[in-house]
Amino acid sequence: MLLFLVAAGLSLIFGTLKVTNFMHGSLYMLGAYFAYTLYNLTGSYTIAVIGAAIGVGLFALVFERLFMSRVYSADVLLQLLVCYAFILILDDAVKIIWGAEFLSMGMPAAFQRPPILLAGGVLPVFYLFLIGVTLLVAGALGYLITRTRYGKIVRAAAINPTMTSALGINTALVFGSVFALGGLLAGLAGALAVPVRSMVAGMGFSILIESFIVTVIGGMGSVAGALVGALLIGLVRSFGTIGFPLFTEGIMFLFMTVFLIARPSGLFGKDQ
Amino acid sequence: MKQSSIARDALLAGVALLVLVLLPTLFPAKSLSDFVIRLSAFAIFATSLNLLIGYGGMVSFGHGLFYGLGAYSFALLMQKMGTSVPVAFALTILINGAVAVVIGAICIRLKEIYFSFLTLAFQMLLHSCIIAWTSVTGGDQGLTGGIPRPAFLGIRLDDPHHLYIFCCVVLVGSLLVMRHLMQSSFGYTLRMTRDNPRRAGFLGIQVWRIRLLAFVVAGIFGGVGGMLMSLFVSSAYPDFAYWTVSGEAVFMILLGGMNVFLGPLAGAGILLLLNDMVTRFTEHYSLVLGVVILFFALGLRKGLLGFVVDVWARRAARKQPAAVAAQPVQRA
Amino acid sequence: MLTVENLRKSFGGVSAMNGISLDFAEGSLTAVIGPNGAGKTTLFNLVTGAFRPDSGRVVLAGRDIAGLSAPQIVRKGIGRAFQIASIFPSLTVRDSILGAVNAHRGWHARLARRFPLKEAQAHADEVMDLVGLGSQAHVLSGNLPHGDQKLLDIALALALEPRVLLLDEPTAGMGSEERWQMIETVHKLWQRKQLTLIFIEHDMDIVFKYAQTIRVLSYGTVLAEGSPDEVRRHPKVIEAYLGTRFEADQK
Repeated sequence: MLLFLVAAGLSLIFGTLKVTNFMHGSLYMLGAYFAYTLYNLTGSYTIAVIGAAIGVGLFALVFERLFMSRVYSADVLLQLLVCYAFILILDDAVKIIWGAEFLSMGMPAAFQRPPILLAGGVLPVFYLFLIGVTLLVAGALGYLITRTRYGKIVRAAAINPTMTSALGINTALVFGSVFALGGLLAGLAGALAVPVRSMVAGMGFSILIESFIVTVIGGMGSVAGALVGALLIGLVRSFGTIGFPLFTEGIMFLFMTVFLIARPSGLFGKDQ
Repeated sequence: MKQSSIARDALLAGVALLVLVLLPTLFPAKSLSDFVIRLSAFAIFATSLNLLIGYGGMVSFGHGLFYGLGAYSFALLMQKMGTSVPVAFALTILINGAVAVVIGAICIRLKEIYFSFLTLAFQMLLHSCIIAWTSVTGGDQGLTGGIPRPAFLGIRLDDPHHLYIFCCVVLVGSLLVMRHLMQSSFGYTLRMTRDNPRRAGFLGIQVWRIRLLAFVVAGIFGGVGGMLMSLFVSSAYPDFAYWTVSGEAVFMILLGGMNVFLGPLAGAGILLLLNDMVTRFTEHYSLVLGVVILFFALGLRKGLLGFVVDVWARRAARKQPAAVAAQPVQRA
Repeated sequence: MLTVENLRKSFGGVSAMNGISLDFAEGSLTAVIGPNGAGKTTLFNLVTGAFRPDSGRVVLAGRDIAGLSAPQIVRKGIGRAFQIASIFPSLTVRDSILGAVNAHRGWHARLARRFPLKEAQAHADEVMDLVGLGSQAHVLSGNLPHGDQKLLDIALALALEPRVLLLDEPTAGMGSEERWQMIETVHKLWQRKQLTLIFIEHDMDIVFKYAQTIRVLSYGTVLAEGSPDEVRRHPKVIEAYLGTRFEADQK
């Protein structure tokens, strides 16, 4: 479910800006660390989550304006390198500020309840919360993109930025906001992950790879695709861990490989 | 444009080799010879990647696959099969070549970013295999037990001096071969498929065949680089197949210049130097590296050697107006 | 030499070519004209294998070539130059042509010897001089002015020693003086090489002066064909495309 949030952000950014944000995983990591600190400062998980999401969104905006926008028209290589550079910088920054050891936060008080029995399975309350939040966000995103004026502008800018700008719309603002939105989603995911995962510098990478797989399968640029893809990958991972615990990642890559060969634009993707 | 000749390149290579071989006698520090050995592994690897990126226009994110594959193949052959070094060398080349043919045939059909992703996917697939297949590869600890180095042709690779010379010879030899290939008809056809694949098709060229051949050559030499590294550390580690290997190689190419043949070599040298210098002062190597990469990606885009070539060209243009037109074309 | 029979092609429901049949005699110099969207470039694309026709035949020197891939068709003797010069910007003029010669002779994948191969140089130099780019031999083709890039485009096609040469708007984007120079060059090499040359052109003065035959296309069909005089007076052509200027000239 968290995977959906991260993948949706990645997909949005790619769909609108035609740029693959390789450091998306680092945004996730930042979200986790921000939330951790905020929770320790305020004791309120709600503040931590919201604060982290907004914080990462802002960071993403700054990153996009100052760095990413310079390499939009350049080789993919340069985009990769700029992102790679940031991954390195952020990983070390996190180590410096928060230390290099694993950190964990523990479950916030609100969720320390006995798990719920659902359809023969045991479901911790927090997971329900996660699913709820994710569905809410998915719905909100869908609404934002298809029904609001903002969504229309974003889609227009994705299809033809020059024309959109000629119509008087500040494309720089649009691009920045989309990137910020993607970052917000990733940060939100990170913040939500903190109670159930331990954090360490470099935790962004595996979720980045998985998000790639999801966006490839679901289709770059499609939020619905990200949802379906995330579900699929989640399933694959669950079955994989049962059957081939060490090779689960391999199975996911196999999946992605098959998709890239058979249907590169993914399930819902727009053809390039 | 001056065309290089086999003789000129061979001469340069010979001189370089001589200098390298004599280096330890002038500066006996072990750190220096270690540096050169590591450089040889990375330089061969980065140059092989540049065959794809610079000359072929194929941006592979997963070239580290061949580095890791080369390292593990060689190490396993030596350790478990007890083959001699030359045989292991040859078999590693064959293995890398075969894998490259298969993977290349699949990846080449995709364009641009999807090609890049798929190559990365394959690399991470290999990485997963390496980690999972503990019985053979030792899992995430890497290969334990060291690599036996039986003597061959009077060369004893357990002697550091012999190892050094061996690596230098492989370095110079590999670069020479790759250089020759890029200066052959094939190399120019490869450039054509990079510049304008559609037109190349309209000239009767089967673009996919050219690309596949380039992929295989790159894969083979990528493996040679990995092989040298495994010799050096007497083992093979899953890190050799991790995505960062590919990322660093890309940076070496950018650093040194992707339109100059020796660019990746220069880039590898600079990066290794940076690594050595920075780790002496701080453990925050990643931070420094990241900043340096940013500086280059946003500023000095053509890389160091590319920059130098540009300056030369501009100086020549000031003396001879006719040569102005011969300035390198801006490639993004 | 080149015949198309009943060629049809639609792109997603829009019919670009509606059953065109044309014949191009060996050694002829034909102009294909018509309003934008008439199907001229589509015709070229279908003949050279960029697209497969939905139905119909393309016959080159008696052999069916419809459905073959572009590289295969090229090897059978059809050369093509493009509306927007399609060249190799990072190679010099001479190297580009040498590369094309290599491809033509099948030497392009050779690994053993250095580029350029001695055997290729004579031919390449000849082609280079034919189009008049000899003085630019060592200029990077990306740095060439537009007109020279178009010449290089033609040279690349010529390097393949084609029997049929298709030129898509060879004078596009040029000033009027340059245009006459270009068409003169084209005419010269048509004579020298005894090609079957087909060119798409919008400049009617050039068309009427140089073409032996003219084919007029409109909406994917052949509107008219014949000698310049015949076409000039053809009522349908005047109505659809030319206007009365040229008819008046004749009277």
